[in-house]
Amino acid sequence: MNGLTKMTRLEVVVSGRDAPPVRELITSAGATGYTSVSGVSGLGHHGQHSGALLFNEYDTLFIFNNTPPPEKASALIDALRELLKGCPGVMFVADTYVSRPDYFQ
Amino acid sequence: MSLKIRADVARVARDIVPQWPLHSFIAVNPLGGREGIDFESIRDSGIALTRSTPHYLADVQSGRITRENLSAAVIERIPELRAHSVRIGSRTISAAKLIVAELTELAPAAETVRASQRSDVVDEMTAKWVASFLDPHPLWPMPHRRDGFYAAWRALARHDPAVSRSARRAARTLPARADDAIGHALSELKIGTADADAVLRRQLAGLPGWTAHIKWRAEHVGDIDVVEYLAVRLSLHLVLGQPVEDATPSPSDGDESPWTRAIRLVEHLHGGADRGATASVARVLAMHPVRDHPFTFQRAYELQYAGELLRTINGTADDADTADPVAPRPDIADTAGTVAPRPGSAGTAGTAGTADTVAPRPDTQLVACIDPRSEGIRRHLEQLHAGIETFGFAGFFGIPIRFASYNSSSAIDSLPALLAPHHRVTERPRDPASAQQRTARLGAHQAFAAGIHAGESTTAAPFAFAETTGVLFGAMTVLRTLAPTIAARCAAALTSTARSESSVTVADAFTLDERAGLAEAALRMMGLSQFAPLVIFAGHGSTSTNNLYESSLDCGACGGNPGTANARSAAAIFNDPDVRRLLHERGLPIPSDTFFLAAAHDTVTDRIRPLDAHLVPPTHLDRVERFARLQHTASDALVRERAHDLPGASPRRTPDRTRARGDDWAEVYPEWGLAGNAAFIIGPREITYGQDLKRRVFLHSYRPETDPNGAGLETILTAPVVVAQWINHQYYFSALNPDTLGAGTKTVHNAIGTLGVLSGQAGDLRRGLPWQSVAFAGRLVHEPMRLAVIVEAPLDRISAIVSRNAVLRSLFDNNWISLTARENSGSAWYSYGRYGWSPTRQSNIPHHEGAAQ
Repeated sequence: MNGLTKMTRLEVVVSGRDAPPVRELITSAGATGYTSVSGVSGLGHHGQHSGALLFNEYDTLFIFNNTPPPEKASALIDALRELLKGCPGVMFVADTYVSRPDYFQ
Repeated sequence: MSLKIRADVARVARDIVPQWPLHSFIAVNPLGGREGIDFESIRDSGIALTRSTPHYLADVQSGRITRENLSAAVIERIPELRAHSVRIGSRTISAAKLIVAELTELAPAAETVRASQRSDVVDEMTAKWVASFLDPHPLWPMPHRRDGFYAAWRALARHDPAVSRSARRAARTLPARADDAIGHALSELKIGTADADAVLRRQLAGLPGWTAHIKWRAEHVGDIDVVEYLAVRLSLHLVLGQPVEDATPSPSDGDESPWTRAIRLVEHLHGGADRGATASVARVLAMHPVRDHPFTFQRAYELQYAGELLRTINGTADDADTADPVAPRPDIADTAGTVAPRPGSAGTAGTAGTADTVAPRPDTQLVACIDPRSEGIRRHLEQLHAGIETFGFAGFFGIPIRFASYNSSSAIDSLPALLAPHHRVTERPRDPASAQQRTARLGAHQAFAAGIHAGESTTAAPFAFAETTGVLFGAMTVLRTLAPTIAARCAAALTSTARSESSVTVADAFTLDERAGLAEAALRMMGLSQFAPLVIFAGHGSTSTNNLYESSLDCGACGGNPGTANARSAAAIFNDPDVRRLLHERGLPIPSDTFFLAAAHDTVTDRIRPLDAHLVPPTHLDRVERFARLQHTASDALVRERAHDLPGASPRRTPDRTRARGDDWAEVYPEWGLAGNAAFIIGPREITYGQDLKRRVFLHSYRPETDPNGAGLETILTAPVVVAQWINHQYYFSALNPDTLGAGTKTVHNAIGTLGVLSGQAGDLRRGLPWQSVAFAGRLVHEPMRLAVIVEAPLDRISAIVSRNAVLRSLFDNNWISLTARENSGSAWYSYGRYGWSPTRQSNIPHHEGAAQ
């Protein structure tokens, strides 16, 4: 597709108190980078979630965005599924295309 | 690397609550990982969630718990019993009363929860290795430490003379990586996939103190994590041939059948058998199984206190027969013959603008931490002078910072544990040359102290050290023992801790817009809109000697640090003309003659000491001096009041005798800290003004009218209330479980640097608070009660906030804390439950027992 490189895009939404193990798994998988956004609001299986709280980062939702190469994605997806068996949160997996594949190793 | 193993470990470790090191003690709910489930559904072996039945029955005998409280607790727990009654013989008895009768008249023998006494060679060896790895000041650093815990242990275990030759040989075959080692051990120990989670959980529960600290350390230091810890533990099991299937049996319900209980109750009430009545009674008792009995007692215990507290709050509907709460009490007349008005009674809120009369401008306003200890000094100051108005706000004053003093090589995170530090504030000395000299002197003193410590602890030196310095240190020891105050003065003179005048660099840490935003949020949260000429931010800390838990007495909102840096930062922000200009544009004008002063409140001495006095403009010097005199008198009165409760203190002695406890290196009760904390009131000060809340209540000022969109209330409920709940449960579980969730007695504590303490010389890191923080002479001083949150604000606003915040839904819906609210002064109280609001029942329960219905 337009010379782009196909990769896998992972998005994980968890509470602030569950963010450290997600971060740890992504880095343990060898990811050289990820994006995290705190203060995510929305409505889900566990009800409504307020957005950013002024003095509480621990109980707000985080969204992690990671784009590993396909050969690393499978193990990371399996690990995140195992983690999410024990805590509230969701994961989205989709194919994506990037213009600079060397940024996503 | 096995990502799946790491995910498995992270999943089973999720419920472990991190334990902060001693130097920045953070009170936590040790069962905080379970807040997503109902409080009563926790069934951990060896952990008591309530006191035992005999204790509650003693409270019933003494009147601390009334039958009305018990009936209210029953109906709250089982609402369908409200209109239910049973006929026994000629009597008709309400279902709630039947249950109360069973609770109080036929109480079964108490089942005491005992901590399981584990003694496990793997626990002992793991504790030894972890302590060696993490000791910040080891005499002999652990070899290979830089390779990580598992790698260092694996390299040394093959030479460990404490284990057998075969074990050492087995250690040589272990995998090089920690996660691989876990997989290898599980496989070799024949642990199937289905059992792996349970085995890993039991391994983590073996040394819960070390595990909790390692979890903190993994996130804040990064030199060890739970995977490495488990790899060592499981590998030890493997090489030592120790089995891991030591499942602790889950506690049984121990419930008798409702039918058996009903037979006994009917016989007790009726004096004989009545099969029809027994069936009806059994149906009622079946709704209240024996396992629930302690929880009903506990709720009644809490309702009794909450009911008394609600009646204390000014404007509570049923206090119409008491004196007009708006009228000043005669004992608060000041020396000029005027009396202290209720603050905010007419126009203090400023933006309300509906009052016919406007309250006179206060002379001085004190903003103190919400900490229950502040309630005492606020009450005494208000009683002394009509012109003093006080506010409660989280003790970091809304300024979350990492602070580094100009003469310190390290920084402190002075902010709630709910936040990560994003803003670094330092100090700028007024006279850099002088500050440099003082810093050099301090450095020399610290080097000398380090040399002394090395001389004491190095293996070869103690005898020579004692020979050469014994006379000097012996004399100092005698002085510290017999005259601690003089010894403290001598030490202070020798240390030369005087600091150069300086200012904090908040303008470098926050943009102007951030500063104005924080200032606006603080004002709207506490409802401060009419300003006195002098506004004081009093950060609090606690000073004691030879107290490993000193940090637990500092400000919880400041990460277990004194709140002085935050108070100074807040004052600097509010004195900033650019910030004031923006606040004015946002409808919060601050008069040009208002000066914000930072101060330090020492909760041992209860003195409030002004900070950055060199910044006080000449126009305000008199006012600051007047406040200093007032706080002196208020402090003396408060220290005398506290002396009633402090072991060994007496209100008949001078306050300075009580204050000297902070200098005494043998004193284990320098102050009671937050012992007794039981409630959190959010509302304007006038609803508690003039009431003695006995330093048991967190007080957060709030006015709905200054918080039009409710953002301020949402912040209060999602941050200060959450932190207060952690503190409350830390005290709760430390009181109920001193050997497992508390730190046990101080008398056998040994410190591992500033990480934590051991009881004795080895074993698990102790969690929670020491016994001396919650009890005296075998008697609990802290009444273990879950926090009662009481709010004066529109109910629909509170409902909306609770419904959109999972943390609040968990805490309130799952009965970790309770919520009671009213719209405004004079309106009825409502209790929040899983199904919404209901009128608070405390006053609706019939007062007399046994009446036919």
